[in-house]
Amino acid sequence: MNKLTIELTINNKKRKVETTTSTRLLDLIRDDLRLTGTKEGCGKGECGACTVIMNGELVASCLILAPQAGGAVITTIEGVGDDKCLDPVQEAFIETGAVQCGFCTPGMILAAKKLLEENPHPTKEEIKRGISGNLCRCTGYQKIFDAIKLAANRLSTRDGEGGEENA
Amino acid sequence: MEEFQEGLQNSKNFFRGDSKKSQRTVPCQYFAPQKIEEALEILSRYGKEIKIIAGGTDLLIQYYDRLYEINGWLDLKNLKELKIIEINKKHMTIGAMVTHAQLEKSAEIKKYFPVLSKAAADIGSPQIRNRGTIGGNIVNASPAGDLLSPLMAYDAQFKLLSLQKEALISAEEFFIGPKKTILEPAQLLTRIILPLPSKRTYGSWIKIGKRKALIIATIALALVVEMAEDNKTVKDVRTCLGSVAPTPIEIKEIRKKMVGKNFKQLDFNQLGQIVEDKIFPIDDIRGTREYRKDVAKEIMINALEEIGLAWRSYK
Repeated sequence: MNKLTIELTINNKKRKVETTTSTRLLDLIRDDLRLTGTKEGCGKGECGACTVIMNGELVASCLILAPQAGGAVITTIEGVGDDKCLDPVQEAFIETGAVQCGFCTPGMILAAKKLLEENPHPTKEEIKRGISGNLCRCTGYQKIFDAIKLAANRLSTRDGEGGEENA
Repeated sequence: MEEFQEGLQNSKNFFRGDSKKSQRTVPCQYFAPQKIEEALEILSRYGKEIKIIAGGTDLLIQYYDRLYEINGWLDLKNLKELKIIEINKKHMTIGAMVTHAQLEKSAEIKKYFPVLSKAAADIGSPQIRNRGTIGGNIVNASPAGDLLSPLMAYDAQFKLLSLQKEALISAEEFFIGPKKTILEPAQLLTRIILPLPSKRTYGSWIKIGKRKALIIATIALALVVEMAEDNKTVKDVRTCLGSVAPTPIEIKEIRKKMVGKNFKQLDFNQLGQIVEDKIFPIDDIRGTREYRKDVAKEIMINALEEIGLAWRSYK
């Protein structure tokens, strides 16, 4: 195990972190940066609880070596919305009751955000595929589908009304 | 270890940005070179002592609780030339660092190699497809590797580079057992070269597993049929399967039965039976030998029907 320093941008902040050659990005985010919204479920890429957005792509942070994230731009759930104003996807999750135990929620919201970014009007099948890397053991998924539909509708009417500030 | 540190002194210029500060004080064993030549030099120096990491979606699972065992990493992430898909009149060249998501989204791969495109779309989940690479899938050499039977069906060749030599190896020669290939420690898989199929080439991809996402195939079939100029006679066919043998395999008997025949007069049932008879799968947690044999026949028939449908509508 050897130490090295990496620089990365996380939730719009540049950070310099000392890490090791056997640390996963997930551990760096949770233990070194203390951003504990990102969860560890299976640790093997199957559950999606550790999902973050890295360089614009949805990834499982448990399957990335910390040094591999050197120079990367990362968004975790802490970087979505802010204290005053939640992201429309977060609001929709709350309103539809798509949050139960909450463990899958950070990853699920990031997957949903990424899906809606690429496909603003997904069909149910497309929603299923978009969140196929995220397991939820509470909701039975129906409320999550409802939340993503609701967010999609709101985002499209908002954009239609000329609310381009977030586009 | 000593040799390792000495090597690190000599290869300072391999670190760019990632670890500038730690170079002098701490012996860092993570390399992320910008050039293929630098990567080859590191490989020739350290060979087996170093692990090549591409997307990491297989490696980090394999070493889940023993990452500390790995002495050194060679990360290919900065090798931009390995992230390119190129096409000329005769071939398509896919860089080893091209991800499954890139394969799935490429319009050219969809057009010329639909079976590869569909197989890439069936891998893991969005998170896995965004990181996992074609090169990693090949070098990992799992008997269930989703891209392997399509690559074999399209007659893929793999370019292996080392400081000393350059080799072009067919998919068939490359895989020698479960997770075993002929790749030497000093060699790097850099590119995958696929001959462009003729216009009248049809393909089918069928993957069977217990769920759609994040599943390792119980059995998978990549069938590619090329028609002759008359668009009636079968000119060539490749029937390749995954998860039925220690490596991806081609059922060559199908070629004997189909080439030169009118597609309309083929007996799908008989062809399915040949596939069933010629595979010798094992029992494992994903399925029994018997189940795999039964399903092999059915998916062969389904694949032929799918190709028949596309063929008829083209006429």
